[in-house]
Amino acid sequence: MESLEALVAHIQGLSGSPEEVAHLHSLLKQADGDSLRAHASALVPFLAHLSPGAHSLGYLYLLEACATSGANLGDFGGGDFLVTMADFLTACSSDQIRLAPDKFLNVCRVLKDQVMQLNRPIRGIAPLRVAVRKIQASPEQLTPVHADYLLLCLLAKQYKAGLSVLEDDIFEVDQPKDLFLYCYYGGMIYIGLKKFPKALELLHNAVTAPMSSLNAIAVEAYKKYILVSLIQNGQVPSFPKYTSATAQRNLRNHAQIYVDLCTSYGNGRYSDLEIFIESNAAVFQSDNNLGLVKQVLSSMYKRNIQRLTQTYLTLSLEDIARSVQLETPRDAEMHVLRMIEDGEIHATINQKDGMVSFHEDPEQYKSVEMVEHIDSSIQRLTALSKKLASIDENMTCDPAYLLKVSSTGRDRGRFDYEDFDTVPHKYF
Amino acid sequence: MDLSAVQASLSDKSYSSLAPLCDELLLQAASRGTTTDEWPYAVHLLAHLYLNDLNSARFFWKSLPQEVKGARPELAAIWRIGQCLWNRDYAGVYTAAQGFEWGPDIADFIAAFLESYRQRIFQLLTSAYSTITVADVAHFMGMSEEDSTNYAVQNGWSLDAGTKMLTVKKPKAQTNQKLDASKLQRLTECVFHLEH
Amino acid sequence: MDVEGEVPAAAAAAIANGLGGGEEASPAPFSAEQLDVEAYAAQYSGRTRLARLVFVADRCGVEAMQLEALRMAYDEIKRGEDVQLHRDVALKINGRLGPRYGLDQAWVDTVSRRAEQRKEKLENELNGYRTNLIKESIRMGYNDIGDFFYAHGQLSDAFKSYIRTRDYCTTSKHIVQMCMNVILVSIELGQFAHVSNYVSKAEQTPDSLDPIIVAKLRAAAGLANLETKKYKLAARKFVETGIELGNNYSEVIAPQDVAVYGALCALASFDRSDLKSKVIDNINFRNFLELVPEVRELVNDFYASRYGSCLGHLEKLKPNLLLDIHLHEHVETLYTDIRHKAIIQYTLPFISVDLNTMATAFKTSVSMLEKELAALITENKIQARIDSHNKILYARHADQRNTTFQRVLQTGNEFERDVKSMLLRANLLKHEYSQRTSGSRKM
Repeated sequence: MESLEALVAHIQGLSGSPEEVAHLHSLLKQADGDSLRAHASALVPFLAHLSPGAHSLGYLYLLEACATSGANLGDFGGGDFLVTMADFLTACSSDQIRLAPDKFLNVCRVLKDQVMQLNRPIRGIAPLRVAVRKIQASPEQLTPVHADYLLLCLLAKQYKAGLSVLEDDIFEVDQPKDLFLYCYYGGMIYIGLKKFPKALELLHNAVTAPMSSLNAIAVEAYKKYILVSLIQNGQVPSFPKYTSATAQRNLRNHAQIYVDLCTSYGNGRYSDLEIFIESNAAVFQSDNNLGLVKQVLSSMYKRNIQRLTQTYLTLSLEDIARSVQLETPRDAEMHVLRMIEDGEIHATINQKDGMVSFHEDPEQYKSVEMVEHIDSSIQRLTALSKKLASIDENMTCDPAYLLKVSSTGRDRGRFDYEDFDTVPHKYF
Repeated sequence: MDLSAVQASLSDKSYSSLAPLCDELLLQAASRGTTTDEWPYAVHLLAHLYLNDLNSARFFWKSLPQEVKGARPELAAIWRIGQCLWNRDYAGVYTAAQGFEWGPDIADFIAAFLESYRQRIFQLLTSAYSTITVADVAHFMGMSEEDSTNYAVQNGWSLDAGTKMLTVKKPKAQTNQKLDASKLQRLTECVFHLEH
Repeated sequence: MDVEGEVPAAAAAAIANGLGGGEEASPAPFSAEQLDVEAYAAQYSGRTRLARLVFVADRCGVEAMQLEALRMAYDEIKRGEDVQLHRDVALKINGRLGPRYGLDQAWVDTVSRRAEQRKEKLENELNGYRTNLIKESIRMGYNDIGDFFYAHGQLSDAFKSYIRTRDYCTTSKHIVQMCMNVILVSIELGQFAHVSNYVSKAEQTPDSLDPIIVAKLRAAAGLANLETKKYKLAARKFVETGIELGNNYSEVIAPQDVAVYGALCALASFDRSDLKSKVIDNINFRNFLELVPEVRELVNDFYASRYGSCLGHLEKLKPNLLLDIHLHEHVETLYTDIRHKAIIQYTLPFISVDLNTMATAFKTSVSMLEKELAALITENKIQARIDSHNKILYARHADQRNTTFQRVLQTGNEFERDVKSMLLRANLLKHEYSQRTSGSRKM
């Protein structure tokens, strides 16, 4: 066995060209397991001799050995080990660390566990944000760090920070569990920021993702999906046909009270819904959904007022109050004002006559902004269509797929490849 | 902790850049394990309110430990403004902002916030009302009836002194008609492509 | 339309006069004096006459009429053999018509004894036919037993016996006879799916049918569709019913009923051109309408947009229609539909409508009308919006250009969302598939 000193010397000497790094990697693999693990606590001083940026691969092996040694990390080397890890994640070379992704992910995981244990989730946000980018082969790839990062954002109440990873479209997934968590946490972040359409997209993905057995994340995602659908659209769509049979069969049973809430909402009577929510408050509370449920309740005023705009050109504040079950015309006025402020209706209040006039959407679709908006949509959609076409092509050439398709006559199996075929063609 | 960037933004009165700046600095400081006793909590919270980003303001407040909330009266006073905004207590915002003796480094920021808030509310009234009582305008604008009448009349509204009712003048919507030729070109190509 | 506590007085009055629509029909006091029970009963024969008399007695809420109906039923039953019905009616009369109209136990015993003997005889005969395998006799045997059960009010048994004749039918005529029997019993049993079924069976027989049979089948089909709330289909069948029907189907339906059912279903479900071509210009159906001039008038009023008069006629008819054994359940729905149709037609040609004028035309208050209009607009049946301040209804003309833009952007968004989510799912499936085929492979 080589001494640690010799290993560090190798790291210092072999971190240049890709060939050198490859050679170093094989040395590190040999050292890993026996010597490194055995001397975990002795490794810390050696880290000081290495540069996180230049000697990333070696640094990673040493750091990972320390981090996963199970020793109390606070005792390491007197300094703050969390800062050491954070500095490494920030400075390391992504080319080098991607040679040992498992090691890198371990470091990230330890960092996450540590900050959570210290009850200081905010400490992990900046490092993990960088870590996502370092380990990703492309922005479309989902990594296990994504979900951890979003979880820290939620715990630290740094919701906006979560957007930095959520704004990328994810298409490549290695572990289904990563995706479920990503969608669930991401949905919660968007809910916190009241970006409900985006929240729905993510929760929808969690609910409709292929699954062979029901998982708890999908159940919780479904509950939130119901609530956000009601807030945003006033109704919950039925499962699309590509939803897994598992989800279609079981989800509703696991969220019965939420399904009942929908029914009550559908009747359109505020007081009934209020009573229903009050009598089930404990359940919603234990699901941590009570706040969202209350938003569902208040969205009913909004929805009922919006419905009036479809029917009336003018209506008195008194009639509005009566038909949406508000106590006074002044309450109605404040609701209408609030909705105008939030851009949810187009209306003007006439205090002299106590009337509200409802208007059509003033958008005339002829402003420069609108043209730009349309143009950018077209660009995005064209790119997406191209991607779709190329994936379709790859798929039809994939031997595994062809084998599957040729055998579907006998055994359709769990994988319904109709997903791949029927949906895209309607768009071409 | 290096807060010079925050100080610079404050003295430049570039208030709208403060929220993202503070957010980022806080994350960086936290990742280094730096203590945050010196952190300009009040400015950070007000920066969110200035952008009318009530969600961020609320989460920021919720993320603070009790000892921070309790030991900083200025921070608590700003949160009272935030609560009024959150509850759409339009008049309460002015009362909360005017009911505290602000320190010299934040007084200007408060004044700027109030001014932009008042403008936003006036725009809201302009779009939401066709007629409105003088009393309500005073209420929403946090001004005396006389001042608010003057403010409104200066903006082209007309007053019926008998009923103390103001008639709102709607501004003509300005739309930018200039269009980048390349965009038009691209749209044309797209349509051409679809038709052939 | 929901009718709740806060409905103003004027509105409540409008509901009370019955035009309000949706509220449950109350069996309570309305004047049903117009109904001449004797004349009404004379239109029918057989068991339906009894059933109708009992129904009128149960529903009319006027004691004199109730007793008259029960007396007629009682007398009629005594001429037949249905002892259970006799017991029921005697119980309903409850001594109010004197001792002559009480439970006649002696009669019950005699009839029951005779029935036992007759049943035994019929069954023996049938068994004989069955051992000898004489098809036609077996058929007749089942038929006789069916008739026997029918006369004694044992409807399910009658139904079974009639159905059994099916295997022994040798001519189209037999099949038609079997169908007519099954239809008759099924109507009384309220099994309208069977009615439709056996109507089509009868119509499918290869030989051309007697026009009277055709008319009967149409009427029966109309009835089945009416009872299953398929009003448009019901209307079609009734207006196609041949005048040959006459009084030939009095054990089920009177020609006057065909006129009323057909007209109401047509008003509620036909569009204007169908109303004109299939009802008003239909020479055959006009013969039926002539039998009930009031209905003829209201159809013409509706078509000529004299809604006030039309609704007036409907109101006058309503008490009697609620006493109709088949129509009563559908009166409210049909009336609401007709009223809504009238409101929709009224607004159609206008750019703006004064609600005061319109309320007068529809004999209602402005606030009630506003509610009705609001409901119709919400259901997207009227493209208009209400200026509640000035009480004017304005037609809404959607801006095609804006709508197109809106739809394009929306479709684009949905496409983007759906495709992204699909690619993601595809990726997961692919991943899981390759995991499954190549064994567990860790990242």
